[in-house]
Amino acid sequence: MSRSYLFIPGNTPSMLQNLDVFESDAIIIDFEDSVLTYDKDAARILVKEFLTKFNFKEIEIFIRINDSESPFFKEDVLLTNDLNITGYVLPKALPSSIDQLLKITDKQIIPIIESPMAVLRLEEIARKDQIKGLLLGAEDLTKELNINRTLEGTEILFTRSKIVLTCNAYKIESIDTPYTSKDDEQGIYKDSLNASNLGFTSKSCIHPNHVDVINEVFSPSQEDIKQSLRIIKKAETNTKGAFSLDGKMVDAPIIEKAKRVIVQAKKYNLL
Amino acid sequence: MTKQANTNKIIKTFDDFYNIIDIHQYKNISFHHHLRNGDYVLNMVLNHYLEKKVNNINLYPSAIFPSYSSILHLLENNQIDNITTNYCNGPVAEFISNNGLSGKLTMQTHGGRARSIIEGRSKIDIAYIAVPTCDPSGNAVGYLGNNRCGALGYPIADSLHASKVVLITDNIVDYVDSPEIKSENVDYIITIDSIGDKQGIISGTTQVTKNPIGVKIAKNTAKLMDELELIKPGFSFQSGAGGISLKVTDYVKETMKRQNIKASFFSGGITKYHVDMLEEGLVEKLYDVQCFDLEAVDSISRNTNHIPISASQYANPNDPLMVIKDLDIVILGATEIDYDFNVNVTTDSHGTIIGGSGGHSDTASEAKVTIIVSPLIKGRIPTVKKRVTTITTLGKNIDCFVTERGIAINPNRKDLLKKLLNSKLKIVPIEELAHIAHKYTNIPKEAKKRDKIIGEVEDRTLEIIDYLYLK
Repeated sequence: MSRSYLFIPGNTPSMLQNLDVFESDAIIIDFEDSVLTYDKDAARILVKEFLTKFNFKEIEIFIRINDSESPFFKEDVLLTNDLNITGYVLPKALPSSIDQLLKITDKQIIPIIESPMAVLRLEEIARKDQIKGLLLGAEDLTKELNINRTLEGTEILFTRSKIVLTCNAYKIESIDTPYTSKDDEQGIYKDSLNASNLGFTSKSCIHPNHVDVINEVFSPSQEDIKQSLRIIKKAETNTKGAFSLDGKMVDAPIIEKAKRVIVQAKKYNLL
Repeated sequence: MTKQANTNKIIKTFDDFYNIIDIHQYKNISFHHHLRNGDYVLNMVLNHYLEKKVNNINLYPSAIFPSYSSILHLLENNQIDNITTNYCNGPVAEFISNNGLSGKLTMQTHGGRARSIIEGRSKIDIAYIAVPTCDPSGNAVGYLGNNRCGALGYPIADSLHASKVVLITDNIVDYVDSPEIKSENVDYIITIDSIGDKQGIISGTTQVTKNPIGVKIAKNTAKLMDELELIKPGFSFQSGAGGISLKVTDYVKETMKRQNIKASFFSGGITKYHVDMLEEGLVEKLYDVQCFDLEAVDSISRNTNHIPISASQYANPNDPLMVIKDLDIVILGATEIDYDFNVNVTTDSHGTIIGGSGGHSDTASEAKVTIIVSPLIKGRIPTVKKRVTTITTLGKNIDCFVTERGIAINPNRKDLLKKLLNSKLKIVPIEELAHIAHKYTNIPKEAKKRDKIIGEVEDRTLEIIDYLYLK
């Protein structure tokens, strides 16, 4: 599971060259909105050459291809399918477009939920094969709904909650929408905390300077890690199914949660 | 030397001035660069040297900026023999790189320049000193007036030792208290409409970087300083005005606030960020040889602990009051750095002059820990080389090199390496940083070094540490 998903343009060598510097757990190389039509082929060639030469073992790499209605959709996949990438991020996703993608790749897929219809058909989407998680695309969604985006995000609260519930139910990742004010450090922190409190497993971003905050918010705190270690330690010596720690009941789900925290802490070098 | 009495120093025009003195007798002339790209005075004066066809000029500007076009015209007319400066950028730098001088270019440091003038190695016939405010007797400061530029650290040595000292101003007031330039050293005051353009006076580089690579380097630097336990009560710090340096300062500020630490002083070029820290009580004193923005300029008048100092007091190794001898940490940039940690900020990799030491070598020589911050790759060229094109600062004075992809520590600093034994940071030999860069860029072909020497890099010790070559 990745905490942070950073979008970088597929046609910008300086960004590609530094994709492992930004400390994002996952990178989404973009072929869609950040690449103009006349540059689509150049982006594909650049990314293919780059990922053929450089191998990034520690980072999950995805490519956001153009949507299934676009003339670039198939070529985006066909030219990159043999690269060492984790999968594809599919814009304007619906069950039918995921089916089209499933026909041409066996890699993981992250559909972007950015239309009212996609929100209504979340479960269908989540049930599809090869789905790694769902990514909320709030900018396009609110545009379709003809409503304003706010920093507080009340207009997307229902969608956010629905995505979290669906992803949790189908045991896939829930990835929150990017925060678009790139220089607002307080804003990105609040927005990340809000997403984390709602239950999102991860957050995407469009500026590398947001990665740190996202990683911090979506990591277990030192207090959580300490408590989880105590729970695991006591569980190892305990012969009963449940026991008491600091006056609180600890049972199997809590022990499992503590184990997950430690797995995360190890993965992110927090121990 | 006998100076003019306190009256009759004011002269209305340059023509009047050159009726009093024979311009052809005064060929060693100096200027300061506090007005930077907004300076009107240097061009105004040198245009008279152009018109009057003065030859064999020896020029001593503390720095040369792109707007100093009159120097270019004098060079084209072959009227200048030698130039001695601390920094050279723009068309003049390109011209010298491509054509050389009939004499030579000497690149000094800020402290070295003051030392040279004070010790009589640089003999100045006339110091032309633009001052934003002075009184009729010649007491002058830089931090008052419409075209204020802040501390006047660089021309103080000139004012004390030049044969003739001429102030050029657009603001004469009745009386100047606590002058930086003192009336007893001043011979003439020439009044003009304007000494400069405010927009050009303010340095354009004084913003905290938002570039993600710069931010990462600053973050690595802050972590390094934390692991080396450098941020402690009473520490002293210099960070300059580069975007990465200022981001480091930002992180230092956070640490100081979190740990309730107060610094003893910050020195060097001062910005609003340093002023904010002074006013928030995070630092005792600012020792200011030059201001980089208007907030810093205006702070001098209202903060008694924001102290303007001369270049000699700042960095002259023979000045007993030298501020930077007590400097704990300095953060500096690099155009190139080599396997021996020599740093180049004087030329690009083709040998074109693009800058100079300023206070780089001064502060690196004196600070207890010198940290170089730079992206590992700039414009598709690795910053690390086997040997820098030009040595500005000797590697023996550089301790740490921080990039976005790792940190190299000078092997001579075994104390620092010991402290970093269990570091979570990526500490690697400098050669490995080069190797990482080469994976992306390959090994660039070296530009062919020519034979003809056009100048030299003179360290503050007076040692010639490298030469400049004709392109």
